[in-house]
Order: sequence, then structure tokens, then C-alpha cells
Amino acid sequence: MKPIVRYLAAIWHILRKDIQVEWRGRQGIPVMLVFALTIVFLFNFALQLSPDLQAGLAAGLLWVSLAFASTLGLNRGINLERENNAMDGLLLAPMDRSAIFFGKALGNFCFTGLVGLVLLPVFSLFYPQNMLRLPLVLVMLLGLGAYTSLGTLLSALSIQARTRDILLPVLLYPLALPILIAAVEASRGVLAGQTLSNVSSWIYLLLAGILLFNAAGLIFFETILEE
Amino acid sequence: MTRKPTLLKILDILSLLIVPAVLILVWFFTPVEAVMGPVQKVFYFHISAAWGGMLSFILGAVAGAGYLRSRRMGWDSLSLAAIEVGLVFALIAILSGMIWARPIWNTWWVWDPRLTTTAIMALIYLAYFILRSGLSTPETRSRLGAVYAILAVMTVPLTFFSIRLFRTIHPVVIATGGGQGSAFNMTPRMLTALFASLFAFTILLADLVWHRFRLAQLQNPLSLEEK
Repeated sequence: MKPIVRYLAAIWHILRKDIQVEWRGRQGIPVMLVFALTIVFLFNFALQLSPDLQAGLAAGLLWVSLAFASTLGLNRGINLERENNAMDGLLLAPMDRSAIFFGKALGNFCFTGLVGLVLLPVFSLFYPQNMLRLPLVLVMLLGLGAYTSLGTLLSALSIQARTRDILLPVLLYPLALPILIAAVEASRGVLAGQTLSNVSSWIYLLLAGILLFNAAGLIFFETILEE
Repeated sequence: MTRKPTLLKILDILSLLIVPAVLILVWFFTPVEAVMGPVQKVFYFHISAAWGGMLSFILGAVAGAGYLRSRRMGWDSLSLAAIEVGLVFALIAILSGMIWARPIWNTWWVWDPRLTTTAIMALIYLAYFILRSGLSTPETRSRLGAVYAILAVMTVPLTFFSIRLFRTIHPVVIATGGGQGSAFNMTPRMLTALFASLFAFTILLADLVWHRFRLAQLQNPLSLEEK
């Protein structure tokens, strides 16, 4: 096999493993979903949302609940490898270690993406706006792509600390701020009826985030995991 | 490591002289700004502190890269020193900005791109210390600290760009008539004082970083053997 094919195969195996674990245990996605919905309800009362306010805030609420819920998934994704020292097994596998990063990041992206896809129709029910639109789905997937890449990278950092479970949000949210701003603004624009080209600067920012954080994963993941 | 280098002594004396000198310059040499009055004079130290913080964070990332390349604890001590002093400078910039904003914009806080970016930056680097304090082995602490320092500097331009874009797309809520730097016309005397202040803060920064570096080296047990 060519090296690139072997590399892609390694990524695929890690992704498949994570999907299998999720499918058999069903402990990641349902928890994220319930948590995201709880946040939606919390916000509704905390912010006293009237119908005319809801329309403007829906994009922001979607991203806040997605960002918070993703943290649970990211923590769980990396905790899976810590339990029973599964990470040692991954590290021993004869492959470039950045493949672990891409595999885990893709897994996290799939799970949070699925949560997002379920949240969109739910939001359409709760708020006076149809949110199940193709441009919004695209923006959401781009935003989550950048967010989960950074999150996967940082979860590999935070897992090594004594304060592992509480550390990830503190590391992730400030660094992810530009991604969240861009995602919220692009979503708001799309919901207000603008086309994707109207919000192109935000889209470019999201693409830049995807590139930057994946490049960082490619370069640094090996360094983060070395023992 | 035991004796204080002569250059550091010179830097000590220089910063002890130059910072009060600039203060006198700001008090008596610069004109009082016509619209804002004496409070505008905080500007000289405000800009200089922000500049020092920025410079220091970049130094922290460069030293982090140096650590990852060479694995010498000296680079890690430098990275830690630069980021710690940089955080203090950033906090000075934020506080002096607030003091300036209160009489001019009639509020302590404005969601201005520069102010907000600086605040986010402070949060990012606060998280750096939380990360370090959670890691128990010195080698892991240095390695992950270095990765995080580089990652943090990478996202700062994204943050600034996103907040800037956020502001230009949105209507300007508060007209920044007396903004920072470019918004009012500076007289030659103001410029002189500004450059003098920038220079003074750079000297002070170098001095403080060097002292903090020596302290970090002394705390590091391995350095005693290396000398």
C-alpha cells in the first residue's frame, strides 16, 4: 500500500472504532443532546425571551448550546482513551501519530454534527423560524469542523492534567472565540435571509480556522502525546 | 546562574531611571488634549503596556518553539517568564483603558475590538497558568505549556480579525470620537512622548522578563546541576 493510503486507513480505523464504541454504548450523543436541550430551556427563562427577541437570538443560542454540549463529547472522546490505558495501544500502533488526531477529530466532528442536525429541527419548533436550511447546515458543519479540531487538540492537552475534566472549557472557549463569533454571525446572516456569499468573510474565517487548527494538530499532536 | 549579570544590572538602573523620566515627560512636556483633557495622558502608558504585552506573548511562543526544538529547560523558563510578565502588562493595558474610557465614553467598558481582544488574550493566558498548575511532572508542564503558548499566539490574529469584522458589519454603537491612537490628531510632542514611553516599557519589560527568567531557573532543580 502507498503511505498515503495507509495513513488514511489508519484515520479510518480510529474513526470506525469511535463510532463503534458510540453505537454500542450510546453514551456520548444522547448526553450531549439532553444537555443542549437543557441549555435551551435554561436560556429561555434566564433571558426572558419574547417572540420578537427569539428570532434574533436563535443563532446565538444554537451556538452556545452546541459549544457547551460539544465539550462533554470532547471530554468523553479523550477519556475513552485514558480508561484502561487505551491510549497506549494507539501510541504503539505503527502509524504516524497525527493520524490519531485526525481520527479522533473526525469522530468528534461526526458526533457533534449529528447533535447539531437534531438540534436544528428542534430549534425550528421552539423558535418562530425554520432553521432547517441548507446554508445554515453548511455553516454549522464548517463551524463545528473548526471547533472540534481545536477541541480535540486541547482535550489531548487537558487529559494529561490533574484537573482534566474541568480544564478543557477554560482552555477551549477563549481560544475558540473567533470561531464562535464567525459561526454565530454567519448563522445569523443566513437566518436573516442572506446568501452564503453575503456572509463570505465569516465563511473564510471558519475555513481559516479549520486549516489552522488541523495544521496545528498535524504538527503538535505527536509532541502532545509523547511520553 | 548565581551571579547577577552586569547587563541585567545596567537594565535595572536604566528602567529605574527611564520610567519616572517618561512619567515626568507625560506630566509636564505633553500638551493637554483639547477635547478629553488630562485623562488622555493615560494613553501613553496604555499603548505602551499593550505593546509590551503583545511583544511578550510573541516572545513566549518563540521561546516555546525553542523549547520544543532543543528540550532545554532554559527555553521553558523564558517562555514562562515572558508570558507571566506579558499577562501583567496586558492587565495594565486593560485597566488603564477602562480608566480612560470612564470619563470619555461614560462607561467602564466598551466592546471595542482592541479592548476586547486584549481581554480575551488575558483570559487565554490565564488559562495557560491553570494548565501548567494542573501538570505535575516538569517535563510535561514545559512541553504542553510550549504547545499551548504557540497555539495561543496563533489564534490572537483570528480573534482580533473576527472582533474587528464584527464591529464593521454592525452599526457603530458608540462613536469612538476620542479613540485610541489614530482617532485624534497627535502633536509632535505627543508622538515624542509616546515613543519615549514605548521605549521605556520595552526596557522595563526586558528587565522584568529577565528577572522572572532567573527566578524560574532557580526554582528549577535541574538548573542547579547545569549551572
